[in-house]
Amino acid sequence: MTAVNYLTFSTILFLLAIGGVLLNSQNLFILLMSIELMLLAVNMNFLVFSVLLDDMMGQLLALFILAVAAADSAMGLAILVTTYRTRGTMAVEYATGMKG
Amino acid sequence: MTELGFGSRLPYGSTISPECIPIPSSIIILMIDSTHEGDTYWSYPISLTCPVIGIMVPLSQWREEPIISPACGAQTNTCDDIFQSSILLRSILRAPLSAEHFQCTEMAVTESPFFALAATLGGMFPRCASDLVTISVAPERSSLCLHPSSGCTSRDVRPSEATVKYSLLGGTSSSILVHGFPWLYGPPGGEVQPWGILNGIVESKMQNSAGISIAPVRIMAGIVFKPSLVPYHQWTPDVYEGSPTPVVAFPPVTSKVAASGLATRIFNLLSPLSGEWHLLPEILAILSTILGNLIAIAQKSMKRMLAYPPISQIGYITIGLIAGNPSGYASMLTYTLFHIFVNLGALARIALFSSRTGTDSIRDCAGSCGQDPLLALRPTLSPSPLGGFPPLSGPFGKPYSSWCGRQAGLYPLVPIGPLTSVISIYHHSKIIKLLMGERGGRKLATPRTINKRIPSLSSPHTPESLIELGTMPRVVASTTLGLTMNPVTTTARDNIPNQIFAHTATILMDFGEMSSE
Repeated sequence: MTAVNYLTFSTILFLLAIGGVLLNSQNLFILLMSIELMLLAVNMNFLVFSVLLDDMMGQLLALFILAVAAADSAMGLAILVTTYRTRGTMAVEYATGMKG
Repeated sequence: MTELGFGSRLPYGSTISPECIPIPSSIIILMIDSTHEGDTYWSYPISLTCPVIGIMVPLSQWREEPIISPACGAQTNTCDDIFQSSILLRSILRAPLSAEHFQCTEMAVTESPFFALAATLGGMFPRCASDLVTISVAPERSSLCLHPSSGCTSRDVRPSEATVKYSLLGGTSSSILVHGFPWLYGPPGGEVQPWGILNGIVESKMQNSAGISIAPVRIMAGIVFKPSLVPYHQWTPDVYEGSPTPVVAFPPVTSKVAASGLATRIFNLLSPLSGEWHLLPEILAILSTILGNLIAIAQKSMKRMLAYPPISQIGYITIGLIAGNPSGYASMLTYTLFHIFVNLGALARIALFSSRTGTDSIRDCAGSCGQDPLLALRPTLSPSPLGGFPPLSGPFGKPYSSWCGRQAGLYPLVPIGPLTSVISIYHHSKIIKLLMGERGGRKLATPRTINKRIPSLSSPHTPESLIELGTMPRVVASTTLGLTMNPVTTTARDNIPNQIFAHTATILMDFGEMSSE
């Protein structure tokens, strides 16, 4: 496989994740997973360029993004647990208490 | 200029010494919290002391010349120091209100000062960000701590909903933002420094390639979420409405100030890449200033209504950013300072007011002047600088940003300031009329009496002294800052962030285009 194939794959991953954020109306967990998928697509891009250019900095950037993704998911899960305790549901459609 | 080599680590390290102060403070708060049982109000003096020390460091390191690292371009200068000081100032102003709120609600959790310190630290990093690693991690570092601070300590439904919306939308925008960075890293040949990226693009003649064109669009789409420019503004009203009133302004204002510093860095990097880069922020600035003021008219909640003037104010800040000239940066910086004082002042006064009325509804505040004239005067004062009544700070900032727009040839942006000021004055006048004249509001409750449990902060007077203490400097600053803005403007005009880099980069890109032809 060439680099273009890998980059196409990561772009498809990213678009799938965008679709997951925009079209999902069922569960807040799916939104969180879509965000993780986006960051994985970013990592994939960095790693492809890193291998292609034989440069370690891309892998370093991927590690940083991985750490950010881990912190993001940990924080997101903590917030979702708090939400579940107060609301009793994880459905997106009920998160309509504030409008205007 | 102060040229620093790779070997001189000490002077280079001193540029990030203000960032190093919140780290031990956060660790101390966590360690004491994990070992100490019982009262946790001690964490607030620590969270107040840290930004006070932090703000002294850039003032003691005050310099006229930027520190340049040969590897990274411009690292930091006085303009960045002012940005950093404004974030620390924001943190100082937040502490009394937060302490008062958690004292009243008896929820003195240490998470709140900890997240505030961590978010302050994250907001300070973009000012010295000069490579892709720091630029990509710094906004995440800030926003991850701001998400829970908008309402994690409350067990109510609305704060949790606001936090969920903020964290999920913030995560999405950050992911879109960082998705642009691989396309700046890979095609130029594995470069992470701005100099290297532009050199790589010129050498590989990729100025017009699809990958390089897509990168600025993604970065722009990600970065405009943080200052909540229209149409990425939806999280701000929800956070304002959902969060407890005394702590509500911390996440949006910190996010806006930090994003302004980061946007300066990123736009300096993007401007040589595309000649039309300013078209998108120009449209967003116009939309923000107009819609921010128009939507505010239709609001029924006082807090939600106060969320929209900051959206329009970020439009004025963006005008200075797009202008890209010394006056533009000066206007951006001065308007950011206005933004901090005016919004925090407005919310502190609304916090005092809503603690007596027990509601956020605008209609329930009708005729409050008859019951307590002094209390009604507080929210009356807050719309004045927001609306732009002279001689307060608003009328000085708006014409200045419009003038900078005209100077930079951004003619569509010039009439926006006066036009939106009229709309703003109209709807703020409606609120003043409601408070002063109309009837049908709720009866005001008597002020609460609570035990003073913060010995180092509380004054021997009223129980609301902490909020009043926090309100006083904001009122003074929001009313008089317009008259005393000249030193800030002069300093900002003389110390432009990355001016040398942007200028040289533009020459480099022009040279690349000529050689490719």
